[in-house]
Amino acid sequence: MPQEEPLHSTIRRRNSWLATFKTLYFRELRVYLCTPFGWVILACTMALLGFCLQAVLQIMSKATGEGVMYYMLNNINFWFYFIFIFPLITMRSLAEEERQGTLEGLLTAPVTTTQVILGKYFASYTFYLILWTPLLLYPWMSHLANVYTNCRYGIIAEGEITYLMADWIGPYCILALMGTLFVAVGLLCSAMTRSQIIAGILCTSFMISFYFLGRVTELWGEFPAAPIFHYMSCTEQVSSFSRGLLDSRPAVLYLSLAVLTLALVKRVVDHRRWTR
Amino acid sequence: MSMVTSEHLYKAFGRFMAVRDVCFSVERGEIVGFLGPNGAGKTTTMKMLTGYLPPTAGTASIAGHDIMEEPLEARRHMGYMPENVPLYDEMRVYEYLSYRARIKGLYGSFVRKQVGFVIDRCGLEPKRKDMIRTLSKGYRQRVGLADALLGEPELLILDEPTNGLDPNQIRQIRELIRSLAAEHTVILSTHILSEVEMICNKVIIIDNGAIKAADTPEKLTGGLRAAGRVSVEYKGDLDPVMKELSLIPSVKKIIYEGLLPGGWQRLIVRAEPGTDTREKIAAVINRLGYPVRHLYRHIPSLEDVFVEMTRHD
Repeated sequence: MPQEEPLHSTIRRRNSWLATFKTLYFRELRVYLCTPFGWVILACTMALLGFCLQAVLQIMSKATGEGVMYYMLNNINFWFYFIFIFPLITMRSLAEEERQGTLEGLLTAPVTTTQVILGKYFASYTFYLILWTPLLLYPWMSHLANVYTNCRYGIIAEGEITYLMADWIGPYCILALMGTLFVAVGLLCSAMTRSQIIAGILCTSFMISFYFLGRVTELWGEFPAAPIFHYMSCTEQVSSFSRGLLDSRPAVLYLSLAVLTLALVKRVVDHRRWTR
Repeated sequence: MSMVTSEHLYKAFGRFMAVRDVCFSVERGEIVGFLGPNGAGKTTTMKMLTGYLPPTAGTASIAGHDIMEEPLEARRHMGYMPENVPLYDEMRVYEYLSYRARIKGLYGSFVRKQVGFVIDRCGLEPKRKDMIRTLSKGYRQRVGLADALLGEPELLILDEPTNGLDPNQIRQIRELIRSLAAEHTVILSTHILSEVEMICNKVIIIDNGAIKAADTPEKLTGGLRAAGRVSVEYKGDLDPVMKELSLIPSVKKIIYEGLLPGGWQRLIVRAEPGTDTREKIAAVINRLGYPVRHLYRHIPSLEDVFVEMTRHD
């Protein structure tokens, strides 16, 4: 509910939660998009996706039946760089503010800690989603490749690169869902320290442990507590989502953990002020 | 109603008491100088007033709003410039100020108007489109000041506004602060004493976390030991002069400073604060028939007050 308050004759202010949030959000997004920082991450991700595609085409020449995106995401190459995306995009957000002292200016302005944190969170998350937009080109590129092959060599069934509509929806859903939690965790790591490096290391180790927790059943086989590990196994979720099997359980897992983590971030930011 | 009231503020960092029992009030339109040696608790006190650091005990209010109970309302009434002026380096001056104005609740055309106004006010027009990263220290300081002015706050809290500037820049910033006094209440901290003497109409001296004195600069310097001190140089014998001078009622102590080249004797006469003994001293020495070449009554400065209040030896 915007509320206007005449202060002096010349200016007016309003107390709108959403307007302040939007200001904070767009500034954070600007950091990604108007500095080399974001573009370097975007370029590296693109390059790595390219390597991945190369490997996928090798696989697809032998085995078919699933879409390009399935092989793209169910590939050790993918996890190898996916894990490092989150520390990279979140490590600087709160740690850098803390180190430069700009957090002081921010928290002494008439804004709440929640607004600041949500602004940062959603900006990082938006940038994370932007990172995956180039992936939209792949099904389209497969289509072009098929058309080209057909024109050049005539219709050969084995030469077709299969792509499915589920190629878009499934993988994007699971990438978006995983992002909600992992960005929040990155922000938490960033809130805990004033050093970007330490924040990055913390977040990377969380990512790696989370990844390996999902593969516990592969190492130990089935045992009574195994369903828990199946439940939180990101590799299994990615595999089923990229086949087009949408499941609500990962949504519950990631969204609830993301909310919990954000609540923790708020506690950490406030706590640092209480004790210093 | 006072602009700022601080009631028994305490701040502990672990076992270390950084601020203890700080009580003061600032009336509308005052320019208050926070004085103190490094590490005395000036910055901590200011951070508590802005609500960035919560006090361990005690409370403060700004324009009637308690800093802990209604932090947002209290912050709307003040502009704060932190020490060393942290700014976002990757933004341009104009962008940064617009962003800060929006955060402070300005909207629409008010943002443009206010930003234009503070840029004008702080002399930032030539640097308006520059990256903050490329600005010199003096201009960074001005951007910080412009930021504090956004939204026309009634109270400005400036933490060492002239820290690290060259003498010309210090003069410019000082002029700027003085010109702000008409519309704003200002609290500034510094350890440059002449600065306080020039612009402040109230001084709070803080040392070891506690307030040592809070008054106008005139009253502070008036009550000093140094206030009644007179130095004399004459040519002649020492003993009769010492004897005669000690008979003057308000004289408390006479210190012999030594023989200067050419046979001139130098004495320091300490008298009661607020008395002027020059006339009587001159009469005494004249009566003895000695020539006098120097007779000076020490005018106490804030520096004397500062040293007297905060020295630990």
